[in-house]
Amino acid sequence: MEMLRVEHIVKQYQGHTALNDISITTKKGEIFGLLGPNGAGKTSLIRIINQITGPDSGKIYLEGREIKRDDIEHIGYLPEERGLYKKMKVREQAMYFARLKGLNKSDAKKKIEYWFEKFDITSWYDKKVEELSKGMAQKIQFIITVLHEPKLLILDEPFSGFDPINADLLRKEILQLKENGTSIMLSTHNMTSVEEICDSIALIDKAKLVLNGSLKDVKAQFRTHTYAIQFKGMMFGFANALWSDFALTNSFQIDDERAVAHVKLLKGNTLNNLLQQVMPVVEIEAIHEVMPTMNDIFIRAVQGEKGGQHE
Amino acid sequence: MRKEDSMSKIGLIIGREYSTRVRKRAFIVLTVLVPVLVVGLMFLAMWLGMEEKKHVKVLISDPRNLCDERIFIGVEEKNPPATFYFYQDYVDSLDFVTRADMKEFDVLIALNPTVITNKKIRGYYREEPSSDAKDYIRDKLELRLEEYFALDKGISLEEYRQIRQRMDFQLKGLDDNEESEIRDKAQAIGLMFSIFIFIFITVYAAQVMRGVIEEKTSRVVEIIVSSVKPMELMMGKIIAVGLVGLTQFLIWVVLITILMVGLQTFVFKDILTPENWQGINDQAVAMNQITTGMETSEVRNQWAEVFFEFMNWPLLITMFLFYFIGGYLLYGSLFAMIGSAVDSETDTQQLMFPVMLPLMFTYVVSVMIQGNSDGATAVWLSQVPFSSPIIMLQRIAAGTVSIWEVILSLFLLTVTFIITTYLAGKIYRVGILMYGKKSTWKELIKWMRQA
Repeated sequence: MEMLRVEHIVKQYQGHTALNDISITTKKGEIFGLLGPNGAGKTSLIRIINQITGPDSGKIYLEGREIKRDDIEHIGYLPEERGLYKKMKVREQAMYFARLKGLNKSDAKKKIEYWFEKFDITSWYDKKVEELSKGMAQKIQFIITVLHEPKLLILDEPFSGFDPINADLLRKEILQLKENGTSIMLSTHNMTSVEEICDSIALIDKAKLVLNGSLKDVKAQFRTHTYAIQFKGMMFGFANALWSDFALTNSFQIDDERAVAHVKLLKGNTLNNLLQQVMPVVEIEAIHEVMPTMNDIFIRAVQGEKGGQHE
Repeated sequence: MRKEDSMSKIGLIIGREYSTRVRKRAFIVLTVLVPVLVVGLMFLAMWLGMEEKKHVKVLISDPRNLCDERIFIGVEEKNPPATFYFYQDYVDSLDFVTRADMKEFDVLIALNPTVITNKKIRGYYREEPSSDAKDYIRDKLELRLEEYFALDKGISLEEYRQIRQRMDFQLKGLDDNEESEIRDKAQAIGLMFSIFIFIFITVYAAQVMRGVIEEKTSRVVEIIVSSVKPMELMMGKIIAVGLVGLTQFLIWVVLITILMVGLQTFVFKDILTPENWQGINDQAVAMNQITTGMETSEVRNQWAEVFFEFMNWPLLITMFLFYFIGGYLLYGSLFAMIGSAVDSETDTQQLMFPVMLPLMFTYVVSVMIQGNSDGATAVWLSQVPFSSPIIMLQRIAAGTVSIWEVILSLFLLTVTFIITTYLAGKIYRVGILMYGKKSTWKELIKWMRQA
């Protein structure tokens, strides 16, 4: 089931193109990572989805229907630049934002109590935001974003500004929301978190979509058919056995007898072929495929290296 | 979950803006302090005026005995501010300072014999008497001398006064009449409204601007516009601040009234007793009538006539509200626009200038057109929407305007504020999400096209 469909979105600002024919689709209940370097156009896209600005052309669909003004009540948005009214009390503020998102007073009150009790911060109710630490304010901001139980949650750099303990708490909350059926769009530079929690990703660079698909597929797309082989024996012998059908890309000694070698398969050779070549020379202890990290993929995609199948 | 429509979201915004503003300490202090200060100062002035009415002893040095040891006996005074003593010898200011027997007198009047020819009278005081006392001394003495002169010439006091009475000479245009004088006075009352609208617009439109800058710099704006349209946010803020202003104004009116009535009833019973004031006025009028003809009382009566009879207060106050709201919305949206375009209040200077210019210009003109409420300047500026809220009220007050002119002016004002709010809204929409750009008017116009 699709949650959000972005179709051929184009947005230009005074002669520069912020989004150039972007089309992506996210599934219900998944965590979708929206990646890209600074200035790629992520925030422009997020603002269009939130109907803060309009596209020059293209359409947005929410659950299969073209998005309407009222749909913003089904979206929760945590902007990258966090902001709250500094002089307003925490509870009043939460109430105000919940009601702007369409909750009535009593529902808003219940939800506020639920979340504040969950985070064990009911003692902050009457504090002004300016009295809170940055991390505390971030928590309030997160609660405000999810209070109205949005179907689609858009989080722009949600982990920035959190210490490791709170970042972990937040990660768990995001996963919990996902489990409860919320679809989440996550815009971030933090590739570790992408690997940990994203189901699908899209990578935008210079206003264009350069990568899109499930995390597994994208990784497969960037597969280098390289395997890490741990063995007991001489590295010299191992390397000699490879000939020109394989390339030794990396190697290191574990101790005097054992080493690990990264070998890339060339000319349509399989892992079996590789094993046949090296088994007579060394004693193999372990073997696994070396998958590219999201960090590698990000850098390779942005630096223009097109992902492709092993030739 | 219940759906809230756009109007109730504006309502929420207005509610928040309004309640945070009226709960601010500055608002409360100002709202309470201003009436207390206004009434306090008024009563202080009156009280000082009363204190000043210290009784003075006046010594008249009258070597030729022109006064015959008495002053003019006119209307009986209950508590005369001065008592007169006569001394039939020359006393100069030096004597008055040095001689021990002079110490008990507060004022010395040297009535030299030459007064008969040169009509010069000089007096000296140790401590300046109240203006009441000064007037009293002058009037009584002058009237007494008139008696002397009349007797001296062998004519009656009435005849003498007839001869002495000043010509009432007025050079007037053919179409000038008493009515036009009344109009000018009514226009002057209208000027009060002009000034109030000017102050209100500058103070509260600037508050709108500051509010926008605050939301922008605290970055809270992006969260709000993900729930409401930027235009709704802008309108909500403008309306709320306008209501705060009206609230403050209303509280001032109510508090000042209560304080005035309260103080008059319980504390200064005699200060504001109408009879007291009436009595003093009557006396002054009576004396002035004798010496200088009818002019003063005429002026006083005209003001009263303007205030109580000529002015169409319900119309003026209704129109005041219309122009007040129209003008505030017009300038408020422009100020909101400026707020959206900058990152801090210090950056507003350059953008403010073209907006403040028509406002300041109109303010100056509104004073200049006093007495000329149907001149070309007043007629044109009462139609131009950027000046009509300030100018038109004077013309309405003066009654020199036709209903069609008012309708046209209100129509133009409404159309203009809808256009400026629309255009300002477009700029606002782009501006509030734009950081770190040096905003110029050129840039703003680009944003307007872009939105």
